[in-house]
Amino acid sequence: MNNGIRIAAPRRTRAGKLRIDCLEKNRAVPAFLGVVAGLTVLSLFFLQIDWLRLASRIPDIGSIFWKLLHFDLSRLDLIGEALLETLSITVLSTLYSLVLGLLFGMLAADNIFRVRWFSRLLKSFFTFLRAVPTPVWVLLMMVCLGMGASAGIAGLCVHTTAFFTKSFAESFESIPDETLEALEATGVGRLGIFLNAVLPSTLAQIIAWTGMRLEVNFSECAILGMVGAGGIGFVISSCIQGYEYGTAGVAIFLVFLIAYGIERVFVQIKKRIR
Amino acid sequence: MEPILTFEQVTKHYPNGVHALQGISLSIQPGEFISVIGPSGSGKSTLLRAINQLIPISSGRVLLDGADVSAQKGRALRSTRCKVGMIFQNYNLVYRLSVLQNALHGRLGHMRGAAGIFGLYTEADKARAIALLEELGLGSFCYNRAGDLSGGQKQRVGIARAIMQDPKLLLCDEPIASLDPSSAKTIMDILRGMTKQRGIACVVNLHQVDVAIKYSTRIIGLSKGSIVFDGAPEALTDEVIERIYNTSRENLMMGGKADEEAYSANFAV
Amino acid sequence: MKKRIPQISPSERRMYGAFFCVIVVLFALCTAYTRFSPLELVQNSDNFWAFLREDFLPPAIPGAAKVENIINSIFVTVAMALAATTTAAILAFFVSLFGSESVSPFPKMAKVVRGFAAFLRNIPALVWAFILFSSLGIGTGVGVVALCITSFAFMVRAFAETMEDISQDCIESLQAVGASFPQRVAHGVLPSCLSGFLSWYLYCIEVNIRASTIVGMVGGGGVGLVLFSYIKSFRYNVACSIILLIAAMVIAVDLVTGRLRGELAK
Repeated sequence: MNNGIRIAAPRRTRAGKLRIDCLEKNRAVPAFLGVVAGLTVLSLFFLQIDWLRLASRIPDIGSIFWKLLHFDLSRLDLIGEALLETLSITVLSTLYSLVLGLLFGMLAADNIFRVRWFSRLLKSFFTFLRAVPTPVWVLLMMVCLGMGASAGIAGLCVHTTAFFTKSFAESFESIPDETLEALEATGVGRLGIFLNAVLPSTLAQIIAWTGMRLEVNFSECAILGMVGAGGIGFVISSCIQGYEYGTAGVAIFLVFLIAYGIERVFVQIKKRIR
Repeated sequence: MEPILTFEQVTKHYPNGVHALQGISLSIQPGEFISVIGPSGSGKSTLLRAINQLIPISSGRVLLDGADVSAQKGRALRSTRCKVGMIFQNYNLVYRLSVLQNALHGRLGHMRGAAGIFGLYTEADKARAIALLEELGLGSFCYNRAGDLSGGQKQRVGIARAIMQDPKLLLCDEPIASLDPSSAKTIMDILRGMTKQRGIACVVNLHQVDVAIKYSTRIIGLSKGSIVFDGAPEALTDEVIERIYNTSRENLMMGGKADEEAYSANFAV
Repeated sequence: MKKRIPQISPSERRMYGAFFCVIVVLFALCTAYTRFSPLELVQNSDNFWAFLREDFLPPAIPGAAKVENIINSIFVTVAMALAATTTAAILAFFVSLFGSESVSPFPKMAKVVRGFAAFLRNIPALVWAFILFSSLGIGTGVGVVALCITSFAFMVRAFAETMEDISQDCIESLQAVGASFPQRVAHGVLPSCLSGFLSWYLYCIEVNIRASTIVGMVGGGGVGLVLFSYIKSFRYNVACSIILLIAAMVIAVDLVTGRLRGELAK
């Protein structure tokens, strides 16, 4: 609370006009906006994009959409199979990562086991894993497991586990120390504290992160398709490259429907939990 | 004298089937200080917002200063709203802006074009806002963030914003429900003093019957969307209160619903 | 046998039980369908390590001309992400004003705007890239547009939700004062929500730095394309150093945005 006595002398600009803005302003915000605007203009020049040529081909987008909208249902069996595969990849990679993420998140949070150097090390390791693009992991896994869904699951797991570890550790660390101290005083072990206090009180956040990641992992299907790990992404990319726009249109539409469905379901779940 | 505000058979149904207002008719003279009392869900808030069309009414007419508000839209409605100041339970300030900027928001309705968008207020307005804030005891807080003030101080900024509009009518939606007793008294005293001094008619939604009796020149009792009492504070007998709240006066005083809500509102902040 | 005293209410218990069953069934079905087993991963890990040791390590540095090329491509990727996110943010700000029921002057239109954003958002960025590349041809500009579409749609939703959360009260009071729509935006929405908007903007920068690498691989240019061409020509040593460079870029951007987020929220 700001009850300090301050002299009420009206502030004036150089021109002698009365000022109305706050005394203590966050000067970082206008500076940030200026820098971002400058950098963006620089980037646009640096990229040397031929906007006129791009704009002149906008009608082509319309014609592509027109072709995509002429749904071709003759390959529905192929699409269905690929879609099921993608869904399985999404679910399995999220579930495996959830378990691993909880485990590593517990180890990486520095308020549970209190081994500073270990949690630091774990966090930096997962930061690195997260920073390497997903297609690289999928490609590496394909060397190990061959083409197919397994490589996709394993590849997605790397990134997802790293993501969960970071977010869960942050959630765990946001629990006030007093809560943990109170339990510690009763003589509960570290694991007991984690299972009885930390986990239940972060459950809502964990579910929110999981839902978010489920959405992301589903939309990564396109990435998997690109590198050849199967699924609906492969159908979309190969159909577009092979000018089978009707089939691609159906596949894209189904991807949209499922992604939208997942989003709606988790919006509902989040409301319920609150 | 010409009434400042007239309600003619105003009704409001919400899409979920709630009948918030049922055939309300009343008229308000300049200079009156009116308290609207009634249990939660009796339509007090809707009644207040029907006056400046923050909630559009379903049928009937609302006449403000002779003009039919319920038919107005766009610019005409905005210039009507200029004439009506409003104070909210949650203060509804822009917490990141200075106290002075928040008070000056009252002038926005009178400004057109770029000046209004970029907040280029006239020097006269600024000087007046500073003088008004000083009068309200906030002179030393002019350049503080509105979010840094205490509840009572925030509500005083809300009053300054409303007074800056030069309103003919002031609407207060439970102005003291989120405040501690001593701030609440200050706010009510300020409201009474400012409106009397400037000849502004004032409509206040209140939970506290004793406050209503102490300050108002006229009390309106609302129950289930209808007016069940309209008269001087002296005429507000225990039986009438019982009819408004469907409970005895003792229950109201000893931590009835109204007190409970004020209590929880106080501690939720 | 002693009956245990339940710790949570029966309805909650039933909900969690059902939830758990669904997950187990899903897990079983998906495992059966894909025949994925983590054991296989462990069994084949020799392959993996051998590949990593022999082909990837040590990271090699190509000739000086190539290095310049690679460094340049990193800047292209960053520039793509920055240009796409900023453009998307500016567009999203104006559109989200109409997508928030409490702010928009036409509240009935808000659902339409949000629906449109949901459509754009739920088609993955890479699919947009495929569609745009097949109609506009490959190139950096098209990559920027593809990134722009999804971040635009994402920010429309995020901005609209921020507005609903934060500025509903002050919008009401400005409405009561008689302020017009542009005035309400300038004096109510912008001051109260700007730091929230910026936080979402920073999040989108993080996402787009990653996405622009990936969109680059299929023809958007930048470091993704360079990496992919080295992988395709089996020069894994060089690819390895590029991957490390990408990781360094991503971590650097994350550190900067993390710092900025704290600084801007004050």
